[in-house]
Amino acid sequence: MAVPVIMPKLEMVQETATVIEWLKQEGEHVEKGEPLLVIETSKVTIEVESPASGILAGVRVGPGQVVPVTEVIAYVLQPGEELPEEVPPEATAILPPSAAPAAPPAPTPPAVSSGPPAPSVAATPVARRMAEAHGLDLSTIVGTGPRGEITRADVEAVLSAPSQPTAASRSEKVRATPAARRIARERKVDLSAVTGSGPRGRIQAADVLGAIPTPEAAPAPVATVVPLTGMRRTIAERMTTSYQTAPHITFTVRVDMSGFQEARKRLNARAEATGEARISATALIVKAVAWALKHHPWLNSTLRDEEIHLLPEINVGVAVALKDGLIVPVVHQADRKGVAKIAAEVRDLVVRAREGRLTPADITGGTFTVSNLGPFGIEQFTAIINPPQVAILAVGATQPEPVADEGGQIVVRPMMRMTLSVDHRVVDGATAARFLTDLRDVLEAPALLSW
Amino acid sequence: MRELSYAEAIREALRQEMQRDERVFIIGEDVGVYGGAFGVTLGLVEEFGEERVIDTPISELGIAGAITGAALTGMRPVGEIMFMDFITLASEQLVNQAAKIRFMFGGKAKVPFVLRTPAGSGTGAAAQHSQSLENWFVHIPGLKVVMPSTPYDVKGLLLASIRDDNPIIFIEHKLLYKVKGAVPEEPYTIPLGTAEVKREGRDLTIVATSIMVKRSLEAAEQLAHEDIEVEVVDPRTLKPLDEETIIRSVMKTGRVLIVHEACKTGGYGGELAAIIAGSEAFDYLDAPIVRLAGRDIPIPYNRDLEYHAVPQVENIVEAARQLARGEV
Repeated sequence: MAVPVIMPKLEMVQETATVIEWLKQEGEHVEKGEPLLVIETSKVTIEVESPASGILAGVRVGPGQVVPVTEVIAYVLQPGEELPEEVPPEATAILPPSAAPAAPPAPTPPAVSSGPPAPSVAATPVARRMAEAHGLDLSTIVGTGPRGEITRADVEAVLSAPSQPTAASRSEKVRATPAARRIARERKVDLSAVTGSGPRGRIQAADVLGAIPTPEAAPAPVATVVPLTGMRRTIAERMTTSYQTAPHITFTVRVDMSGFQEARKRLNARAEATGEARISATALIVKAVAWALKHHPWLNSTLRDEEIHLLPEINVGVAVALKDGLIVPVVHQADRKGVAKIAAEVRDLVVRAREGRLTPADITGGTFTVSNLGPFGIEQFTAIINPPQVAILAVGATQPEPVADEGGQIVVRPMMRMTLSVDHRVVDGATAARFLTDLRDVLEAPALLSW
Repeated sequence: MRELSYAEAIREALRQEMQRDERVFIIGEDVGVYGGAFGVTLGLVEEFGEERVIDTPISELGIAGAITGAALTGMRPVGEIMFMDFITLASEQLVNQAAKIRFMFGGKAKVPFVLRTPAGSGTGAAAQHSQSLENWFVHIPGLKVVMPSTPYDVKGLLLASIRDDNPIIFIEHKLLYKVKGAVPEEPYTIPLGTAEVKREGRDLTIVATSIMVKRSLEAAEQLAHEDIEVEVVDPRTLKPLDEETIIRSVMKTGRVLIVHEACKTGGYGGELAAIIAGSEAFDYLDAPIVRLAGRDIPIPYNRDLEYHAVPQVENIVEAARQLARGEV
């Protein structure tokens, strides 16, 4: 009768064992007690003895296969005996065809020498578990065990090989401090792209921080804080009030300064002759403005509650840039002063403004303001009205420009653009326009000053 | 504030507690008439009498057994082992009896004693009188191990130790006895298991014990001139240990240097390093944890060799500098 060979249970908690090698081949005669095969448990490698004398047949598992304990793995048959029917046909398929179960006891080549007989690979359970855990294909590992099986050492050798191909193991090779790893994790930096500056190239926290794009890494530059005090505060408050309460409208004209320059030349020649100070452009403009204001009193007014006061004096303020602010000293009664006097006064006011020596009288009573940014090369700009005034003139730079003359010919003339801002509550567009064109006319032909 | 030396602060704590609590008594070799090998108990026998300041023969096991027994019967003894090296002779009573009894009797008995003992090298006392054996006792559940580094701490910790219901190994340092510092006159306690940041810094943390706290603070002062800001943390009690203060400091600085006088191998620094590495602070470490400790040799008698056997200020400066510069 066919005697089954079962996978023995050798230990208390053993559930499987691995076939390492068959010592007897299919069809070979065996004696009871003779070693049949070698198996390996988690603890030992041991030979399994034949349970009977007869012929080994129906070998169902090959080297490397893990088999549950008590499972039938082969039979020992008496001569002429058939394998029991319950042997699944596929189980025999793992053997070479020559090892057909019903074959006579003819010598068959041992499975090991006829090439790899089993689809699985011989490996110890530990090796198998490790390979599985690391996603290694056992068939790619060369076994160095006693019978060529893959041992724990073989798997370890592969895992620690420098040319490990898997990405997971490669990232393990990055040398970085825990802090560097944490920062890389938090800031989503690829550590493999970071160059380490630590000992033996170790990546340190500073290296990771340095690899983060600057906008993130560098904190926003801290602003220099200047408290809003003194003159700055006054300017801020007055300009805000003006801009929010006075509806500004602005008008720009282009002025041919040829006549103006000619007049200045003559005036300066005169100043030189009399030993007086040179006539600045600003002084002459102030004079012209005063003249124009005299003819357009609405521009020289102020709004007090429900009343518009047309002011009796024409006091022209001149905006003076300071190192850290702006002040508007006033040329009082400019309409009654000669241009030389105005020039001297403006010069004096500017000097004292820059030295901080202006008196209250110097900076009060203004009825109109002139802001000249021409010396800075500004072509054209708009100014905010200096309350309680109702208009301000922004003077640009005088520059040579091609223009069409009266005959339609293109000529180059010294041109200047000036922009008038007025408070629309008091001054309408036409009023402003008339003032501005008159002013343009007197600048173009200063002889009109005597009108 | 008034200044006292470390030895005077201990004496004041003993006197105040003996005045407050009649169960407190002192027992040890030469603690009475002679005033203690380092003069710590000077004058106490005159003040409290021979019943409360007891001179013993050379019998460390006897001292340890006597304080264990006395503590069991309700006294609060303060024993002294003249040199910590001799504690080997007392270890049976300390390790197998005193440390175990409270647990083995389910809390029905307790052993509230303090065993004071000076450790450390630097006095030319050679290999049998210079050891730092704290870690042996840190290893024994049931014992508490206290290691004060300043006059202020030694008074507060000694008072807290005498009032604690457990056997306490109270380790002083021979070179600290003459160090002066501010000490309040009135009695006060420092809870066991509270570390202290002795100096704040941003670049690295030094965790140091006993005399090494003092040396680390000196090193930190020097390093400040190199723009290296060292934080110095003193655990003060090795057991129980205030892990939180240490971990918080390491999380702040990312680098830690552990300094103790005891031999490096098997020393407390290994325990500290493992606690830090296993804590929340791990992810903040930007360099390996470095230990600077005594060499694994018996303390030599030769003064030059003795000097080089344990960490000195210059060694701490060097190790801290390398660590702070990311060279480790």
